[in-house]
Amino acid sequence: MEHYDLLVIGGGAAGIAAATAACGAGCASVAIVDRKPTLGGVLLQCTHRGFGSNLTGIEYARQLLKDFPPEVTVIGNTTVLSLEATRVAHLSGGRRLSFSQLILATGCREIPMGALPIAGTRPKGIYTAGQMQEMMNLHGFVPEGPAVILGSGDLGLILANQLAQVGIPVTLVEKQRRCGGLTRNQKCLDDSHVRLICGQTVTEVRGQTKLEACHLSGGDWIACKTLLLAVGLRPERTLVSHLGDPTWLHLCGNCNTVHPMVEGVLTEAIQAGQTAWETMRKHG
Amino acid sequence: MEAYDVAVIGGGILGCFAARNVRRWNLSVALLEAAEDVCTGITRANSAVVYAGYDNKPGSRKAEMTVRGNGNYESLCRELEVPFCRCGSLLVTYDGASLPKLQKKLNEGLKNGVPGLRLLTGAEAQAMEPMLRPGVAGALYAPSTGTVNPWLLGIAAFENAVENGAVAYRNTAVTDVEKTDTGYLLKTNRGTIPCRTVINCAGLFADRVQELLFPRSTRLHWDGAEYLVLDEAAPKPRMVLFHQASSCGKGITAVPCVEGNLLISGVRKEIETPFATTPEGLRELHRAAKALLPEVDLTQVIRSFAAVRPNPYREGGQSLHDFCIENPGPGFYSLIGIKTPGLTCADELGRYVAQEAAAFLNAQPNPDFNPHRHAIPKSDDSEILCQCQGITRSEILEAIRRGASTVDGVKRRVGSGKGPCQGSRCAFAIETILEGYRNGTL
Repeated sequence: MEHYDLLVIGGGAAGIAAATAACGAGCASVAIVDRKPTLGGVLLQCTHRGFGSNLTGIEYARQLLKDFPPEVTVIGNTTVLSLEATRVAHLSGGRRLSFSQLILATGCREIPMGALPIAGTRPKGIYTAGQMQEMMNLHGFVPEGPAVILGSGDLGLILANQLAQVGIPVTLVEKQRRCGGLTRNQKCLDDSHVRLICGQTVTEVRGQTKLEACHLSGGDWIACKTLLLAVGLRPERTLVSHLGDPTWLHLCGNCNTVHPMVEGVLTEAIQAGQTAWETMRKHG
Repeated sequence: MEAYDVAVIGGGILGCFAARNVRRWNLSVALLEAAEDVCTGITRANSAVVYAGYDNKPGSRKAEMTVRGNGNYESLCRELEVPFCRCGSLLVTYDGASLPKLQKKLNEGLKNGVPGLRLLTGAEAQAMEPMLRPGVAGALYAPSTGTVNPWLLGIAAFENAVENGAVAYRNTAVTDVEKTDTGYLLKTNRGTIPCRTVINCAGLFADRVQELLFPRSTRLHWDGAEYLVLDEAAPKPRMVLFHQASSCGKGITAVPCVEGNLLISGVRKEIETPFATTPEGLRELHRAAKALLPEVDLTQVIRSFAAVRPNPYREGGQSLHDFCIENPGPGFYSLIGIKTPGLTCADELGRYVAQEAAAFLNAQPNPDFNPHRHAIPKSDDSEILCQCQGITRSEILEAIRRGASTVDGVKRRVGSGKGPCQGSRCAFAIETILEGYRNGTL
């Protein structure tokens, strides 16, 4: 069976940084697996600025990859289907490989419509914010307006800004009393296309085939054709949930804790890369 | 156009099984579905329970068909390569005063021929199903209860019907029916279809379809049910659990589905908007679920949806409790108001009406009928589009080749988008592939 001293699952900011750090520390046999054909993860769908020295996500990914060691084996377009406690990974395409150390850098996933206590029909036009970000920035999709965005955290604000820029009226609905995102992302609230409603949530949707309106907890129906859900992120740890806490497993990035800034992801990932290599040297 | 021997109106699970069973005879058959895909109405939103048959009055058509239909499920699902799990069920009560009701169901079930049925003490029930809230007064155990994916089964029957020569017309809504010398003429939005006999399986609209030609008889009143789906990772009971109306409020059903998800449902009497959940309904479902299964993890809910059920009643208002199979004119058969346990009896009902039509047309058995349908095989592709469920591009392409024309249609065939992200990572990619098909670029 194919063997690597270190297997990194996930090729986003965390995976790239962890693989780079481990390699830099001396680990010679590293593989990184990602479901997409190229490394970069969610950074590749971020066209907005705010990464590092005010770069876009795409520019930031490019910068990270500039220092990426060529000796790392990149396995793209591939999903890790399951992990065995005997340190064997089952990859899509029927490939299997064994490893000594594992870094999980699978990021996080969004909370979808179905997980929210929102009643009504299940029409077209409801997306998670990150899903819409990918559709718009990687595939040129333009949603129908007007739009309601539930959740005024950073992702909600970034999407509100982007929709407003193409002239789509946006109502941002925030359950808390005040807007939740970073100050720099709140600039979009000055845009005439964006309206913020705090202290309310979406309780119901209407529309048999396509979305027609959202009902707010305050009692109003807001006509809209698109509803974006930016209500939170859950660390993606399904792959390791049955493994307990073995010494060979290291989590970093958003699958460990959701980080507001990419810098936090990098610090943790570099640490994980080094720890993985040290553990490897001590225990194999 | 040459007349079909049989036209089946409605491509829900009943219509699909009717068409499949018509092909057991030497009869040509057309299946007409108003929607873009089959199994998108009542079949789409269903409790997924294959009932044992103790709920039905001894001697009724329902009782007889349910017990027989249930008994045939293994062989049916083997033929159609659809997963089926005979997990058994408990009908539980926390109210000692309700024990006579369980006894009555036991007696009726035994009369109906339900195998293995027996009453359990609260302690016995709790030992079998430790997730139950303590304090169970008694339970009716039915080992033959099972669970199946309703839309997968319906689609499998559809595919098998088509493989055996049934002709499917989708996006084809019947707008009028005329009697002719040789049978009937179905007028649709896409032209007229002549046929010698009609099997009306139009689900929620079966009463209306019959009334296009015949006088009013049985009518349908719609009511609803609401559902919660939990992630596969959530703790779940081993068996199907029924908790009838008692001190704890409305009754609920908890089903450990074949795919590993827990499905929790509750019934609502009146509905405002078809297929819409309500804030009160969802709240009540959460409350009732916690009351029955205190350890159920409702943070693992990944979807909620609503079903619509057709309840038959006579002119004048009297509710009908048995399946209504009407024969308002020569060679015209209507399945009206087939609700619970319609899924259990889908094949039985299909066989029955097919046989009626065959007898009417004096048909011979079809020696070439092949009951076997092959499931979409798991592929070894490395490109996975649905990350949650591990569904590959080639599986999705196969679903499209077999007739899926929407993201939901693909989901119903291969299970993409059924996981915790609910399609937020694959829906767009699948939509893009579908668009490629529509434009002919794929």
